[in-house]
Amino acid sequence: MRLRDCKEVLEMSEFNIIGKRVPQKDAVEKSTGAAQYVTDLKLPGMLYGKILRSPYPHASILCIDTTRAKRLPGVKSVITFSDTPQIKFGPLVDDWYILAKDKVRFIGEEVAAVAAVDEDTAREAIELIRVEYEELPAVFTPGEAIQPGAPIINPEYPNNVVSHFKVERGDVEQAFREADLVIGDEFYANQVYQAYMESMACIAQSDGRGHLTLWLPSQVPSKTRMSYAKALGIQPRDIRVIRPHVGGGFGAKMEYDADLICALLATNTGRPVKIVNTRMEDFEAGNPRVPMSFDLRLAFKKDGTLLAKDLKALAGNGGRTVYGPAIMSTACYRIDSLYRIPNLRADGRLVYTNTVPTACFRGFGNAQATFALESLLDMAAHELGIEPAELRIKNSFNNGDTSPHGWFISTSGLADTIEQATQAAGWNDKKRNKTTRRGIGLACTNHVSGNRGFYRPFDGSSAILRVGESGQAVLIQGEAEIGQGQNTVYAMLAAEAAGLRYEDVTVAQVDTLIGPFGLGSFASRGTVLGGQAVIAAGKDAKRKLLAEASSMFNIPVEKLDIREGVVCRLPEQTKMATVAEVASHYMFRQGGCPLTGEGVYVPDTVVPDPVTKIGNISPVYCFATHIAEVEVDTETGQVKVLNYFASHDVGKILNPVGLEGQVEGGVVQGLGWALMEDMVTVNGKVQNPTFLDYRIPGVRDIGKIHVSFVETNDPKGPYGAKGIGEPALNPVTAAVANAIYDAVGVRIKSLPITPEKILAALEHTCML
Amino acid sequence: MKVNIKIMVNGDPYFVQVSPFRTLLDVLREDIGLTGTKKGCGEGECGACTVLMDGKPVNSCLFLAVQAEGKEITTIEGLAAGNLHPVQEAFVAKGAIQCGYCSPGFILTAWALLKTNPHPTEEEITTAISGNICRCTGYQKIVEAILDAAQRLQGGVGNV
Ligand code: FES
Ligand code: FES
Repeated sequence: MRLRDCKEVLEMSEFNIIGKRVPQKDAVEKSTGAAQYVTDLKLPGMLYGKILRSPYPHASILCIDTTRAKRLPGVKSVITFSDTPQIKFGPLVDDWYILAKDKVRFIGEEVAAVAAVDEDTAREAIELIRVEYEELPAVFTPGEAIQPGAPIINPEYPNNVVSHFKVERGDVEQAFREADLVIGDEFYANQVYQAYMESMACIAQSDGRGHLTLWLPSQVPSKTRMSYAKALGIQPRDIRVIRPHVGGGFGAKMEYDADLICALLATNTGRPVKIVNTRMEDFEAGNPRVPMSFDLRLAFKKDGTLLAKDLKALAGNGGRTVYGPAIMSTACYRIDSLYRIPNLRADGRLVYTNTVPTACFRGFGNAQATFALESLLDMAAHELGIEPAELRIKNSFNNGDTSPHGWFISTSGLADTIEQATQAAGWNDKKRNKTTRRGIGLACTNHVSGNRGFYRPFDGSSAILRVGESGQAVLIQGEAEIGQGQNTVYAMLAAEAAGLRYEDVTVAQVDTLIGPFGLGSFASRGTVLGGQAVIAAGKDAKRKLLAEASSMFNIPVEKLDIREGVVCRLPEQTKMATVAEVASHYMFRQGGCPLTGEGVYVPDTVVPDPVTKIGNISPVYCFATHIAEVEVDTETGQVKVLNYFASHDVGKILNPVGLEGQVEGGVVQGLGWALMEDMVTVNGKVQNPTFLDYRIPGVRDIGKIHVSFVETNDPKGPYGAKGIGEPALNPVTAAVANAIYDAVGVRIKSLPITPEKILAALEHTCML
Repeated sequence: MKVNIKIMVNGDPYFVQVSPFRTLLDVLREDIGLTGTKKGCGEGECGACTVLMDGKPVNSCLFLAVQAEGKEITTIEGLAAGNLHPVQEAFVAKGAIQCGYCSPGFILTAWALLKTNPHPTEEEITTAISGNICRCTGYQKIVEAILDAAQRLQGGVGNV
């Protein structure tokens, strides 16, 4: 592609690439099948690992006999607890062992593992392992698990409560006493599965001297090294993580026990070992969403002013702890940065159950709480006789507000998104001309772009931009593209900040041996935290390029600019050189060292105080409004989503294609949760662990999705931008529930909203 | 007991020794090394493993390798040599690819649809891809891409 001339590039708008519709950087290789995922990789001499999982929800392990498995030709290693380092560990609570010690706590818990020359042999060997169990009384729901006398799952937590979160601001009791309207109800957000298309996978290789290389589809490549080092009794420096393409994650692909099993098998055999979950294993022993029930009360003045919120939450942790405590506390108070509520109280408990461990799923607890709050607000709007949109605008946070928990909302586009979504949906018209069985419902959300509390040692990001002799640039960072388009935005930001052409920037796959420590993909943090670091690296590279050009041409730096790969003289707008010429001049003058920009971003976020919970966890806060338009078949209870409108405060539009993709994908995932998806578990056993029985939305299950954006240009965002991943899903379930109520007058307070629930509720309504 | 079979993939003959129960998908991915075909479920429920068998899209996880003898198999790697096929171009341009794990399956399904029906309606596209699941995109951009691919194949505006 040709380089433009100076006049052209300098007279382009403020941005050369930001704001353009840019397809994903690696879409071409994904379209040809050339993109390599962990599941595709094969190393010379590679063995295949399989895991023997517990068939019981709660049982003591009496003995394990592996002799027959070991004798099977082709089997290279069989391991049980005694072959592991026997160290307790876990991302938040040390309640994991790599393989079960003396008891199992959920169906699917890892008991033994084998490595063999091929998958068939590994599978056969697994079947030859004999385990004698003694079943223990089990408990499956959080409600039962907190009853006195319930079976105890972890003796260190004698009442099964893993974590208890409490926060209180203002005077809640008084606010409820003085309120004109008090409204309350119970809501349930069920357990759902992320259903990324590439199941969990790992390849591990040991060099025989204690160094491990892991190929992981990980959202947190650098952070896993820390937890895994502890589990294996080695140093983080002994673990190298390489993250190739990732087939989706949505929160699930963080610490995962099979990775450690794979590492042990590789160490034992001295050969690379690959473990890939079957889809059924992934359903039964993945990292599904934390199920939560809520008891929520709100207090209002007559005019709709919110006075108080009182929330009780009970959440299911499963048999061991992944990120449940942080997810439960998030559900308790993240939503308090959506509306101005002076008096707040939350009391949440996370409880062990003999079911699959639960973890992060897009929304991280806020999605669960949003279902409850936004449903109840709709109910309140009816009681108060105030339009749902108006009620929300009235209470919304504004630019520069600080929430009662100390969160500083530099910009809030909430009211604008309400305006934009209702306009797009033709809200007033549809309300006026309501047709039977059709309804329209609105829900809002807030979210973070980063979570200061998630990894205590630090917050922020860093990046390195290396410009080579041909003007080609490689961006090296430790954040984690998992399919969402993050690398594309990074390449755009790097090009924009450094003055390079977008097509000259390549984003390196994450390799912890080389790149910086990136915290990774969670809390919708990639664009903001990673993006700021990338801009900083780009600016640093540009500064160095300008200095080099200045000395090459003897022109002061202020009289030079770089745009789109050309160095221009100002104000004449004459072309002095290409970036390639300047970068190669630099490199050859420096003994071959490429010109390198380094970028660091450390936000001014504040870790919430452990006692007061006061903090400020994200540099910027996101807002959105969703409107669902549905039609309900009162004979069958089927809900059809006719149209869906989503308006998001994205701060600044960096790449409209990526933003639309995130919102459309998030909405459809939310529609699945609202209407279809449910991990049906009976006595701890998932009853529907296949895509046939656990249906996720197909193309025919959705309506038309209309996406629009509000730009608040947040001074703390990269060129003003905010995150998008999670807010795209948060409000969907409530928007759908509210639309169903509008359509047929029934209020479903437990997810998913199945035809059966609707029919049952309709029947009840008729009887009244 | 293993059997020797010969299968034609992307115009090339492959001689492999397989268990009679080995799926076409595993042979393609593991034995031949064509990993562009993906495994999302292994049970015929996701479409990630779609290949063309004599020009028709099939779930390669539901076929035994031995059943593929005498058939022409086309995988994503064989769709276009060198340049991108217009269907691939459209998927790239329209943002229909996020994580990309479902993309080979969708692209081949779309290719087969456009072969028999060069001017599909949105409804026909929806029907054609109803057996493929995508967890990332929400489908809207995939449908747009297939409409765009139809135009590109007609030498329309997109085909530049
Ligand atoms: S892998 Fe064949 S349909 Fe899912
Ligand atoms: S792009 Fe990820 S599953 Fe379709």
